[in-house]
Amino acid sequence: MLSVTIFLPLATALLVLVIPAAHTGLIRGAGIAGAAATLAASLLLWSGYDSADPALQWRQRVVWVDALNAHYDVGVDGLSLPLIVLTALLLTLTLIYVAGRRERAKMQVFLFLLMGTGLLGVFAAQDLLLFYLFFEVALVPMYFIIGIWGHEGRRYAALKFFLYTRLASLAMLLSFLALYLAMEPHSFSLPEIARAQPYAAATPGAGLVLLGLVIGFGVKLPIVPLHNWLPDAHVEAPTEGSIMLAAVQLKMGGYGLLRVALEALPEVVQRHAVALLWLGAVGVIYGALAALAQRDLKRLIAYTSVSHMGFVTLGFAAAALAGSESLRRFALTGASFQMVSHGLLTGAMFLMVGLLEARAGTREIARFGGLLGRLPRWSALFAVLAFGSLGLPGMSGFVGEFQVLGATLATSLGAALLVLIGLAVTTGLYLHLLSRIVLGGAPASMPALAEPPRVGLGIAMVLAVLAIALGLVPALLTGVIAGGVSGI
Amino acid sequence: MRLPAVVPELIVAAACLLLVALAGWVRGRWRAAPAAATAAVLAAALAVTAASLGAAPVPAFEGTYLVDAQAQRFKLLILTAALIALALSACHFRGRAAEAHAPAALLFATLGALGLCSAVDLGLVLLFLQITSMASYVLVALVRSDTHALEAALKYFLFGAAALAVMAYGLTFLYGLTGSLDLRTIGVRLAEADRGWVAVALVLALAGYGFKAALVPVHFWAPDALGTAAAPVAGFLSVVPKLGAFAALARFVVEALPPAAVDWPWLLALLAAATMSYGNLAALRQQRLKRLLAYSTIAQAGYLLTAVTVLTRAGGADDALLFYLAAYLLMNLAAFAVAGSLELEGDRAAALRGLSRRTPPLAAALAVALLSLAGIPPLAGFAGKVLLLEAALDGGMAWLAIVAALNMLLALVYYLRLVAWMYFQAPDTTIAAPRAIAGFAAAGLWVCVGGTLLLGLLPGVWLPSG
Repeated sequence: MLSVTIFLPLATALLVLVIPAAHTGLIRGAGIAGAAATLAASLLLWSGYDSADPALQWRQRVVWVDALNAHYDVGVDGLSLPLIVLTALLLTLTLIYVAGRRERAKMQVFLFLLMGTGLLGVFAAQDLLLFYLFFEVALVPMYFIIGIWGHEGRRYAALKFFLYTRLASLAMLLSFLALYLAMEPHSFSLPEIARAQPYAAATPGAGLVLLGLVIGFGVKLPIVPLHNWLPDAHVEAPTEGSIMLAAVQLKMGGYGLLRVALEALPEVVQRHAVALLWLGAVGVIYGALAALAQRDLKRLIAYTSVSHMGFVTLGFAAAALAGSESLRRFALTGASFQMVSHGLLTGAMFLMVGLLEARAGTREIARFGGLLGRLPRWSALFAVLAFGSLGLPGMSGFVGEFQVLGATLATSLGAALLVLIGLAVTTGLYLHLLSRIVLGGAPASMPALAEPPRVGLGIAMVLAVLAIALGLVPALLTGVIAGGVSGI
Repeated sequence: MRLPAVVPELIVAAACLLLVALAGWVRGRWRAAPAAATAAVLAAALAVTAASLGAAPVPAFEGTYLVDAQAQRFKLLILTAALIALALSACHFRGRAAEAHAPAALLFATLGALGLCSAVDLGLVLLFLQITSMASYVLVALVRSDTHALEAALKYFLFGAAALAVMAYGLTFLYGLTGSLDLRTIGVRLAEADRGWVAVALVLALAGYGFKAALVPVHFWAPDALGTAAAPVAGFLSVVPKLGAFAALARFVVEALPPAAVDWPWLLALLAAATMSYGNLAALRQQRLKRLLAYSTIAQAGYLLTAVTVLTRAGGADDALLFYLAAYLLMNLAAFAVAGSLELEGDRAAALRGLSRRTPPLAAALAVALLSLAGIPPLAGFAGKVLLLEAALDGGMAWLAIVAALNMLLALVYYLRLVAWMYFQAPDTTIAAPRAIAGFAAAGLWVCVGGTLLLGLLPGVWLPSG
């Protein structure tokens, strides 16, 4: 069943390839049907998941490359299952969002579905070589999506995106190979590596292996000095690309840190956890401050994304530093919850910005004001999402950030203070944004506007409702996550 | 000596002699005859080689020639590459005089490369290097009206003659030190030889191997020769002689160079780092497609040399070398095949602009080849690079693995530039549409593309089970 979920998008993509390009409707329909079937399959996985059992479920393992002792090895636990459902959900919604376009439909549907298989595979793979393969399969389509459908600076942004990504994946690959070679017999199997702990002793190479992983996942997450590609990629990417990039692709970095780095090198992570904790805290505040300085609405959201994802780094480091098992679980649950919540809220935020841009032809914040009167539906939804993003209790953003902050407070007061300042800045930022563009007076240069199409607003509404549901009843998710967290 | 073991070489050699006469004689539509005959010969040799793949090693020709498992695997690759390149070039030259001449020269070069896989006597190695080189000069100058190609062929010839003479000079040192040109005898006796002279001999001998494999600093012929030869021929020249050279080099360093006598892994590691870095840096600035691909083949030779460097230190290095060569032949021939359909416009890389709109299948084929050369999964180049890096790390050459990884990042810039032209730009209507690839050439191209995907998804098909 898990393999069916992973490969349904790919199978649909191959099917789409053989449909003649002129049949746009058929292509779009097939794409949406394939994604919806994937979502249904992922929900079946969810319903069949036993959250009391910390072991990997839906496990499937067959030999892939005999000479390298690599396996096609997939399985899910509480950490990966929410991300799998999130991926399938956003893939479906994104394909629905672009359904009205005619331009190069075949290629677009193909690329999104191919990316879907890569993403689902990353969250399910239990073999590092397989993980690496899926990781890149998820990234390459995004290069084309930015480069083909992006805005003016798209070629530069696409190249920058791919180069950063490649740097990351090569660093990651070298670390994977080091782990593989340290195992006796050589093995890429993550559960086996987690059991054997080849770098448990403080060898000089261990730090380098961790560095490779931190670069590899840190570029995607992004961890702050490695984040430089993200604003460009987001601003130049088409809306549908930004949604998948922010909502799902960044999660590969966070998931990788928790799943690979923490499981394979717990002692090494612990040795360097203080530095990582500060990196996370700096990310939170840097993202918030940088967002303050933006005039472009999409760039602003991109920087808040950096800030929000800083909590994942924080949770990861706090978990490694945690003195007690309960604190450790608290931090990890928070980090995982934050990833899902960020996927829903930021994905929706990018969609809202895209809808506005499609109507107005600009993203410049100064050119908007008093939208509540002109676009009541858009404004109401935007306000809800903004409150969710700033961490209002009752919405999903609060749960994860609160847990991570709590865990940070218990380990380092200084870092926690920094994070608190970052949170205050973010709150001010969103409130200011709301008062400026939703309330406030309309500037003279504001373009004429009409309410965005219902489909787009409907999709944002679905995401907002889910964010509220998770905020009101976090147990919907924490129950599942807890099973996975206890296994790490 | 048992004759059956060398049947592939004998068939090819006999066919070479017949083809030279045939090629000069045929006219009109009979010009297709040499290509058909060559295809039959290559297919037969391929079948015989494949059938005897698991056989025990057989020495031949007074022990100067050894048909063992490694040689057979190299030969399989050489014959496959030659067959694909033949399909590409036969269609490319259809109706021109070169249609009849190309197969003969191609087969000669293939014969030399086959010999290099099995030769265990350095005199024989030099002979086979010469055979391959002679045929290669002819291949570059195949279209006699193309003055650029003639100039490149002349340079290639002079350069090759010098490089092989230097190698021959180096062999005199080895003979002087050991009294033999047999690799294994040299390997035994060199252990007691003076280290300084061994190093001199090694450096001189490497000139010949390096020339054929296009390693820095004896790579200068490659951009000119590959950049001016017809694209399918350039594809052949960048693959088949290289396969032979790496087969011979692997045998040379493992059997003739005891680690006690000379620290050859370090020398080769430095050469590998220099070759890949130079190839990638130079490729960054190229505006012509074939020239860019030529520099890319230099960079790829650097990656391949990484595997040779750790042959005696890492268990999987020989498999990594063979795997990467298989991947390289497929992706490189695919790239040159598409280049062949674009070279009408003076080989400007700008002909790639908007190719994904003009001819989506060609653009997709080239994109697959380029992304594979860059090492992106799930393509053959990815699996090859994983194996190479694994071997380098396993062999204790972590710095070389890191240099190689950085080079892969650098190479992405120029591979992606081509992809971006094809996919992100509108077609340039002032440039003629690409020539269609049809018939056997199309079959050859799609075999390469399919193989690139297959080796990436299931690398196990060309790896011994571990």
